[in-house]
Amino acid sequence: MKATMTAPVNAGAPRSLWSLRKGEGGVIAGFDDILADHYRVRLMEMGFHPGETVSCLQAPAFGSPKVFRVSNTIFSLDDEVASHIKLESHDT
Amino acid sequence: MTRKIILIGSPNCGKSLLFNRLTGLSQKVANFPGITVEVTSGHFADLENTTLVDYPGTYSLQPISGEEQVAVEQFQQGLEDPEVSHVLCLIDVTRLEKSLYFTLQVIRECERRGKPVLVLANMMDILAGHGLEVDLEGLSRELSAPVLPISARTGKGVPELLCRLRGEDAAADPWPHDEGIAHTPDVLLRGNAHQLARKYGPRGDLLVRTQTRLDGFFLHSAFGGLAFFVIMYLLFQSIFTWAAPAMDAVEAGLGWLAELVVPLVPGQLGKDFTADALFSGMGAFLVFVPQIFVLTFVIGMLEDSGYMARAALICHKPLRFFGLTGKSFIPMLSGVACAIPGIYAARSIDSPRKRLLTYLAIPLMPCSARLPVYTLLIAAFIPNTTAFGGLVGVQGAAMFGIYFFGMFCALLVTALVSRSRADHFTDLPFVLEMPPYRVPAWAPLVRKAWQRCKHFITKAGGIILAVTVVVWFLGYFPNGGADLSASWLGQLGRFVGPLFEPLGLDWRYGVAILTSFLAREVFVGTLGAMFGIESAEENMVPLVSHIQASELGLASGLALLVFFAIALMCVSTMAILSREAGSRRLPLQMFAAYGVAGYLGALAIYQLVSFLGG
Repeated sequence: MKATMTAPVNAGAPRSLWSLRKGEGGVIAGFDDILADHYRVRLMEMGFHPGETVSCLQAPAFGSPKVFRVSNTIFSLDDEVASHIKLESHDT
Repeated sequence: MTRKIILIGSPNCGKSLLFNRLTGLSQKVANFPGITVEVTSGHFADLENTTLVDYPGTYSLQPISGEEQVAVEQFQQGLEDPEVSHVLCLIDVTRLEKSLYFTLQVIRECERRGKPVLVLANMMDILAGHGLEVDLEGLSRELSAPVLPISARTGKGVPELLCRLRGEDAAADPWPHDEGIAHTPDVLLRGNAHQLARKYGPRGDLLVRTQTRLDGFFLHSAFGGLAFFVIMYLLFQSIFTWAAPAMDAVEAGLGWLAELVVPLVPGQLGKDFTADALFSGMGAFLVFVPQIFVLTFVIGMLEDSGYMARAALICHKPLRFFGLTGKSFIPMLSGVACAIPGIYAARSIDSPRKRLLTYLAIPLMPCSARLPVYTLLIAAFIPNTTAFGGLVGVQGAAMFGIYFFGMFCALLVTALVSRSRADHFTDLPFVLEMPPYRVPAWAPLVRKAWQRCKHFITKAGGIILAVTVVVWFLGYFPNGGADLSASWLGQLGRFVGPLFEPLGLDWRYGVAILTSFLAREVFVGTLGAMFGIESAEENMVPLVSHIQASELGLASGLALLVFFAIALMCVSTMAILSREAGSRRLPLQMFAAYGVAGYLGALAIYQLVSFLGG
C-alpha cells in the first residue's frame, strides 16, 4: 500500500487516531481517560494496543467514520471513539 | 447415549457457514426475548446422536453490554452441561490476533471445567489462494490445544474433524494439557494473543489490499454514494414490488381455501365466523410472510457479502445526529414498505439503545398500509389541480408532504428521546469490524429467512388472529352482521364519537378508526360499509364522491391525515414489537404516546386550518 505521509502540523504534539488522513499511519500511545474502561479493554481486544501500528485506509467525506487497519483486521471508528485514541508524536 | 458439541468463535469468522455444513437441514433456534442473541442447535449430519450447539460470537468473554452478558452466560452454562463432550473454537486465520484472544479465553474456561477444546483454523483456502501460510503445529503447541485446518466454505478439513470427533484418528495426540492457562488473567492472555499473532500470523497485506481496493469504490464520496442508492433502491424494490406477487398469491390461496372450507361449515354463524374471522385473521398475518422472507434474505445477503458494514458507515454520520446509528437506515427504509419486516431488520443493530430508538422510529415511517388511507383522503379533500404553471400537481405534492411528515416525525422522536434519556440506556461505541467482501452462501440465507418467517407465524400470528376475532365478534353481534352501524362495534363508535367531534368527524369515522387497528387500510373498507358503499377498498370513487358531498371540510381531512401519519394503529406491529423488544409495555406505551400525539397533532391542524378559513 502506498502511504502518502505528510509532516505533522505540530511536531511533538499528541495526535489522535481521528486526525489521521487517508494513507497516513501512526503508533498508538494510549487512550484518553474520558474513554470508559470497558471500551478501552474492548479496543485492546480488537487489537488497538499501545505500541501497535495503525493506518488510515479510508476517510470518507462529510465526517463519516474512518476506516483503520490494525494487525490484519480493518475497523471503522467514528470520531467519538477515534478522537480518544492517542498516537505517539512520531509518524511511522 | 446422546452428546453435545459446542461451536464458538469471534464475529465474522465463518461460524454460521460451518454450522450449516455440519448440521445440514436440522436446526432449532432459541431466541432470547428482547435481544438478538440466538443459540442454534442441530444434529450432526454425519455423527450419530450428536448435537452441535452454536453460541453467539463475541470478541471476548468479558462482556461490555447486556446482550454480550447473555451470550457469555449461555456459553458458561453450556460448559457446565455433562452431555457436552467437546468445544470447537473457530478462528479466522486471515485475521489471527482478533481470534486468538477469544480463543485463549475459551481454552482457559474449558480447562477449568475439564472440557477438551479443538481449535479449527478456518479460511485456510483463502490463505492458500494468496500463497500465504500459518504454522498450525507451532500454534497448537503454544495454545496447548489441537489445531485443525478447515474451510467452512469448501468443506476441506471437515472429514478429518469428524474422524477426530468420532475418536477414529489414531494418530491424533491426546488432548494436551501440559502448560495450563486455567489461572491466567485476561490481561496476560491479551498479551499472549498479541505475541502469538505476530509470531504465527500470515505475513504481508495481500488480503487487506484486495479489501481496500473495493472499499476505495464503495466508500468513495461519489461512486460509493451512487452504489449505496442503487443497492438501497433494489432493497426497497424487493420488499415493495418483488414480494407483491407472493403476497397476492397468499391472499388468493387463502381465498381459494376459504371457498372450499366455508360451505362445509354448518350454520350461517359458523360460515360467517370461518370466512370473516378465521380466514381474514389468518390472512392478516400470513400476508406479511413473503415480505419478511424477502427482506431477511436480502439483508442476510448484504451482511454476508460484507456490504452491510459499509452501508452502516455511509449512513452513520447523518443518523447519529438523531440519536441513531448507520445500521438504523435499513430497518427504517424497510419500514416505508411495512413496519413488520423493518422491526425484524433492526436485529442487525448491536447497540440495544440504538435498536430501541430504531423501534421508536419505524412505526412512524410512512408504511404501505397508510397508502390507501392517504389516497382516499387526498382524493376527497385536496383539489386535483396544478401549481407553478402546471409543473406541480397539488395532490401529488400533498402525498409527498404527508410521506415526508412521517419521516420527519420519526427522526424528531428519536432526536428528542435520545437527548432526554441519555443516562437510562447502555450503549456501545461505533467500532465496526469491516469484514472482507465475500460471495454469500445461499442455502443458509434461505434457511435463516424461513426461520424468521416461522418465528413471525408462531409468535405474532396468534395475537393478530385473536384481535381479528374480537373485532369481528363486536361487528357481527347482536344483529348477525346485517348492519355494522347497529352492531356492538357501532355502539362503541358512538361511545367514542365525542372524542372525534373536536376534529369535525362523526361517530362513523370513529368506527372506521377503531377497526383500522387491525390494519390501517381497513379504514377505507369500514368507512365504505358505514356509508353503505360495497367494496370501497377496491374502488374508492363512490366513497370519495360521498365524502365530498358531505359537509366534512378540508380541516377534518387534514386532521385525519395527520392522525394516521402519527398514531400507531396496527395490531401486527404491536405484536411483533412486543416479541422483538421483549417487552409488553413498550408497544403499549408507544400506542398511547403516538395515539395522544396523533390526536393532538390532528386537533392542532384542524384548529389552524379552520382559523385560516379552510
